[in-house]
Amino acid sequence: MLEHILTLSAFLFCIGVFGLITSRNMVRALMCLELIFNAVNINLVAFSNFLDSSQIKGEIFSIFIIAIAAAEATIGLAIVLAIYRNRKSTRIDQFNLLKW
Amino acid sequence: MKLPESFYETIFLFLESGLILGSLGVILLTNIVYSALFLGFVFVCISLLYLLLNADFVAAAQILIYVGAVNVLIIFAVMLINKKQYSNFFVYWTIGDGITLTLCTSIFLLLNNFISNTSWSKIFLMTKPNLVVKDIILINTVRHIGSELLTEFLLPFELMSIILLVALIGAITLARREKKIELEKNDFFNF
Repeated sequence: MLEHILTLSAFLFCIGVFGLITSRNMVRALMCLELIFNAVNINLVAFSNFLDSSQIKGEIFSIFIIAIAAAEATIGLAIVLAIYRNRKSTRIDQFNLLKW
Repeated sequence: MKLPESFYETIFLFLESGLILGSLGVILLTNIVYSALFLGFVFVCISLLYLLLNADFVAAAQILIYVGAVNVLIIFAVMLINKKQYSNFFVYWTIGDGITLTLCTSIFLLLNNFISNTSWSKIFLMTKPNLVVKDIILINTVRHIGSELLTEFLLPFELMSIILLVALIGAITLARREKKIELEKNDFFNF
């Protein structure tokens, strides 16, 4: 049972990495980032259920990760909106406006 | 939740197929609105999976935060940004995509190999004596999570609240900044 869930989360992680690298749309890249976060969360919850069901520390860590992911999604979408106002486009390869 | 094993396996099979199809739909569909809706479907499936794994509080948090907040936010962003450019996915299929596909497949096979080679039964046996002692006392997971958050994980909990506040303020300033400049320009043209 544990192996099934670990395989499932590995699949979700690989799908997320593939989408994050190949997507042209910025919003779709953020969606794939959420997929990666969810794969990590599934791993944590599965391990805390199967190996550590007395003191469930994996679930607490997954709650922290959920909160951080919500903050990350907010910031990412705000940045996408700001760049869209500048460039009128959400394609990743046209975002060359970051200077240092 | 105490369920018979076959029932458990059947529900898990349904959730697994839903997750695989949904995640493939997120990255392969050309219309990004459908992709966002499939993302919500994936989140719901993951929260049902948490329910199967006895993590009811995390399942409720997943529904509330991911489906209720993050997915709605993404759909709003899609609707604010969408420009009706339905380009076909396979037209822009480049060499880099092929390389990425082989790389991700090899990572998946490698992880699968490691998962199947690890002997989980030994690890179960190693953690079993730790499990029996406290299992009777702490049944209520929500109460346990609350007490852990306010005693042992107090510092990360407070830091997380600060991070959420900073993210909120940062998002508001990032989304408002351009509008102010446009207003100033309009004032300039009016005068």
